[in-house]
Amino acid sequence: MNSSERRAILRAFQPGRRAGIALVAATGAATVLPLPAPQLTRRFVDEAIGGSVTGHLTLVALGYLALAVAGQAARMLTAWLASRLAWDGTNRLREDLAGHALGLDMAFHGSRTPGEMIERVDGDVVAVADFVVAFVMDVVVGFLLLAGVLAVVLATDVRLGGVLLLYCVLAGLVIARAQRLAVPSAIRAREAGAVVAGALEERLAAVEDLRANGAGEHAVTRFHQVSAALYRAEARADVTRSGLLAGTSVVFAAGTALVLGLAVWSRQSGALTVGTAVLLFQYTQMVRAPLERLIDQLKQYQAALAGVTRVAGLLAERRTLPDPADPRPLPAAGPLGVRLDGVGFAYPDDGERVLSGVTLALAPGETLGLVGRTGSGKTTIARMLLRLYDPAEGRVEVGGLDLREADPASLRRRVCVVTQDVQLFAASVRDNLTLFRALADDRRLRAVLAGVGLAEWLAGLPDGLDTELGAQSAGMSAGEAQLLAFARAFLTDPGLVVLDEASSRLDPATERRVEHVTGRLLAGRTAVLIAHRLSSLSRVDKIAVVDGGEIVEYGRREELAADPRSRFSALLTAAGVRR
Amino acid sequence: MRPVPFVLRLTAIAGLRRYVVGGLLWAPVSVLPLAGGLALQRLFDLIGAHRGVALTEPLWLCAALVGVEVVRGLVMVVAWVYGTYWWDAAATLLRANVLRSLLTARGAAARRLPHSSGEAMARLRDDVGDLVQLTDDIVPLAGATLFSCAALVIMAAIDPLITLVLVVPMIVLGVLTRTLRGLIQRLHRRARTLGAAVTASIGDIFAGVLAIKTAGAEEAVLERLRARNRARRDAAVADRLATDTLDTALGATVEVSVGLVLLLAAPAMRRGEFTVGDLALFTSYAGWLTALPRTIGSMLSRLPQAAVAIERLGRLLAPHEDARDLARAGEVWFGREPPETTSLPAHQDPLRVLAVRGLSVRHLPVHRDGAATSADTSTATRADTSGDTSPATIADTAADAGAAVGDGLADGGGDGDGFLGRGVHEIDLRVERGSFTVITGAVGSGKTTLVRALLGLVPADAGTITWNGRRVEDPGTFLVPGRAAYAAQVPRLLSESLEENLLLGLPADGDRIAAALWLAALDQDVSGMPDGLRTVVGPRGVRLSGGQVQRATAARALVRSPDLLVVDDLSSALDAETERALWDRVAAAARDGDGPGTLLVVSHRRAALERADQVVVLDRGRVAGRGTLAGLLASCPEMRRLWHGELLAEAGEQARTHSGSASAPPVAG
Repeated sequence: MNSSERRAILRAFQPGRRAGIALVAATGAATVLPLPAPQLTRRFVDEAIGGSVTGHLTLVALGYLALAVAGQAARMLTAWLASRLAWDGTNRLREDLAGHALGLDMAFHGSRTPGEMIERVDGDVVAVADFVVAFVMDVVVGFLLLAGVLAVVLATDVRLGGVLLLYCVLAGLVIARAQRLAVPSAIRAREAGAVVAGALEERLAAVEDLRANGAGEHAVTRFHQVSAALYRAEARADVTRSGLLAGTSVVFAAGTALVLGLAVWSRQSGALTVGTAVLLFQYTQMVRAPLERLIDQLKQYQAALAGVTRVAGLLAERRTLPDPADPRPLPAAGPLGVRLDGVGFAYPDDGERVLSGVTLALAPGETLGLVGRTGSGKTTIARMLLRLYDPAEGRVEVGGLDLREADPASLRRRVCVVTQDVQLFAASVRDNLTLFRALADDRRLRAVLAGVGLAEWLAGLPDGLDTELGAQSAGMSAGEAQLLAFARAFLTDPGLVVLDEASSRLDPATERRVEHVTGRLLAGRTAVLIAHRLSSLSRVDKIAVVDGGEIVEYGRREELAADPRSRFSALLTAAGVRR
Repeated sequence: MRPVPFVLRLTAIAGLRRYVVGGLLWAPVSVLPLAGGLALQRLFDLIGAHRGVALTEPLWLCAALVGVEVVRGLVMVVAWVYGTYWWDAAATLLRANVLRSLLTARGAAARRLPHSSGEAMARLRDDVGDLVQLTDDIVPLAGATLFSCAALVIMAAIDPLITLVLVVPMIVLGVLTRTLRGLIQRLHRRARTLGAAVTASIGDIFAGVLAIKTAGAEEAVLERLRARNRARRDAAVADRLATDTLDTALGATVEVSVGLVLLLAAPAMRRGEFTVGDLALFTSYAGWLTALPRTIGSMLSRLPQAAVAIERLGRLLAPHEDARDLARAGEVWFGREPPETTSLPAHQDPLRVLAVRGLSVRHLPVHRDGAATSADTSTATRADTSGDTSPATIADTAADAGAAVGDGLADGGGDGDGFLGRGVHEIDLRVERGSFTVITGAVGSGKTTLVRALLGLVPADAGTITWNGRRVEDPGTFLVPGRAAYAAQVPRLLSESLEENLLLGLPADGDRIAAALWLAALDQDVSGMPDGLRTVVGPRGVRLSGGQVQRATAARALVRSPDLLVVDDLSSALDAETERALWDRVAAAARDGDGPGTLLVVSHRRAALERADQVVVLDRGRVAGRGTLAGLLASCPEMRRLWHGELLAEAGEQARTHSGSASAPPVAG
């Protein structure tokens, strides 16, 4: 793991100045207040045996009580402050992580399920946050208390203190080393957890497909199989984990026995009072409680370490699309020309060749229809124009700029896409339309919706633009969702529009309505259309027929349609267009 | 069900024996510190005695302290690993019970699922975890109780009064805890809801990553995440503070108890009736005694969480199921492979005629909470005897009846389906064996809702479905392979191999897969893939094109050789050549008896409409006409409108082709 990612994670948990001071003060109080208690017990024992008056003994006992209550109050204050700190840090980390992941390329997202991303951005971060609270409460307070105890014991009896110190150092080293050994198995267990989460999420999303095809029982069987893998990973992690805990307990008991044995020996030589022996025992007991809590937190600690490692792993993922060194904006207005020059592409993870030698040119305002079998590479070409991928060879130019040199923000403003899968968010109609940006006022939003034929639909919504839509298309038919996607496109002023099978789910009547509006959208703009329905390509200027990732036919639409030997013409015939 | 009976039931979910054995294994871990305390008592009494005691006995006692811990440690490793088995088995079975209910129980699953899959995931992850944890906590509770009882007996033998004093503050604490419970439940519910909103928000972001990136809306969605994060922090800190208050009260109570021991032991100690060894024993046991209030405290604070968890998981179950089904015991498959249960169930009654009468679905308001929905599903497939009408007048009658019913429902429900245009009203439909039925209509006319209601994927509010004249009580579990199979409009593939996606547990048979691939016109695509059928398709089939995903979905339905194949707008992502091939092949196979003979297809495309024996035209949820294409073109204005749109589109295509060919050589054919 790269240390810069680790630093980025730690930075997220850095408290503000005042919060930091308050936390330090509370932590200090939580550490210092319990320390004098055994001193009071020693006085109590020695004075009771020595025959002191009951009134005095009562005073000592009352002092013990006051310290105990104050110590608990300090502990609670520390917990409150630490929990605030942890949540602030968690939130910051979650936001950073979501932002970072969102900045990664589609090559990254293509191979990960939303469920897996939830686990990595949310689950891992929560494990880290839980640990931060535990760290302050049980690790920091515990270790400070340990240091305080050592100081007091050293002051009481140098030899005994020295032995205790040596013992603590050795035990600390052993425990720290053992903990490192436990991390890899904890990581594997968490990864198996992410697989289970991903499998569940996918099956929940596919409930209807599975039900209607009678595959419900099988899906449950598969779930049992991934859960069994999770169990095996967790069992291995838990052997390490519990062995560590048990070992620590034994090591600790040995320490107590060592101190008590030495106390017996000192007592023999008369160098130690009974009260001091009780004091030594109480201090070792006092260390035991936080130490046991500390090890109780081991599960969280290791989950957090694993979480930190995985979070850092995600932060270490780099964009494969480098930011331009000298970003140049695309022309701010007007249609954008497009040039693809010998473009080749292969998926980086498996090297599977998807495009080769694609050469195309569109003057500003020209429209191109991409035609070809499914899987022929049309969508990849479209994604190149949006710079969702960079070409492995050749260059992609939009508005006269190589996209690798174009300012990403201006690219998003000026190039717009409507895809076949309309992604709806569990949010209001307004937010689904603007994607949470302040793009336009409600009047314009209404006008745009009316423009794509959704006026009646909007009028029927209970809360108008504020009506919440579901993430799984609840409340909208696929066709309506498609119309909404068109409305999204209308809200910006793109110079290049990519329609990827955009009208595939519209019935003819609605499609004609949309075509009318599409005509308006495309007027004065460059456009690339991917449509399986050849009828929706009736207005394009040029046609490129794609097959196996190559352009096998390219030319002006009328010429190709007129040439009976052309592939395009053959497709028209197959589509039932009789001549 | 209340949390306590539920948790008791949960102990038996993976077999009660396993739970009890696991609990018994833990018992020594809890009880062994008793021995440690007794050794300490003796040790301190020796230290406190007159000088000159031999070193041997104290050193043996020190060795005993270590020995006790070694035994305890060994037992703990065994008990822990055994406990992991139980923990994972219980969590898996709870999740499997919910999943099985969603996937196989009677009644539609659509209205049980929350809108975002992130929210459903949060329930299956956190709520299940809470419940299993609470059940698991019974073991340390029992251990702590065992220890406490024995310790109190030992302590009472030394000094009954001081022992009694140690007990009293804990009773006070119990009362305090009960009063804090309501507050904790409210705070926790709030924190959980806001936490789920954050999780859902993240799920949303990554499900919609393409839309966000291409629109450049990254900053805007992150700002939304930040707002939800802030709200969640405030709620979570309040939640944590309330829980900590409880913990602090517990810790303070025990510390105060030790102080009280000192206070009360002072006179007895001065008299020599209470030895230093007794004090060491009391102090040692007081530390271990904290385990009991600590465990009780954490369990009490978990009880409200558990109540929330039971309620939220219960909402995912079918209306006829309850918490008993949630906690139903099952087999654990950690050590061996679960048996494959899926096969094509042989049914004795092959399809002759499927009839739908008076089917109505009233859609609920878009924004709804789960509680309101489960009540509605009970009215599903209510018998509706709207009387027999001759086919010629069905359309009109249905429309009238639908209007009346629709109005009534709209008044009662607050929102009808008018605004969504997705409900369907009083649909009558008759599908004969060997026929090709096409359902068509404009966007939002209810085509998808009709087939989903027919297949029992959304609950119908009224109507009957009969299979060969026999009433289908629950279409969701009846109209499945081999009777029917379904290719959805928005298909979902799993991140598994293509073969697994097609078969989904059906016994593998190479010829059968090959036949289905060929029928679905996916054969060439698959042979072009480097790993063929073993190709792992990406999450939700991302690495396949839209058309490939849809044809894979079709192949998935076809491989099940259903009597009735239901296809919802499958052809929308297919190009002309591929689509033609698909229908030709399916039709040819049907003629030869090698494929599904009866088809019910949602489509607005010419290729399907021209092939149809029967076309049903939907308009705003009602049947606007039915018959052959030719008949409907003569009698149904809506069909003419739709058809005109299609023809115009293709005529435009043709005109352009002809104008383009004016200067070119004449085209043959």
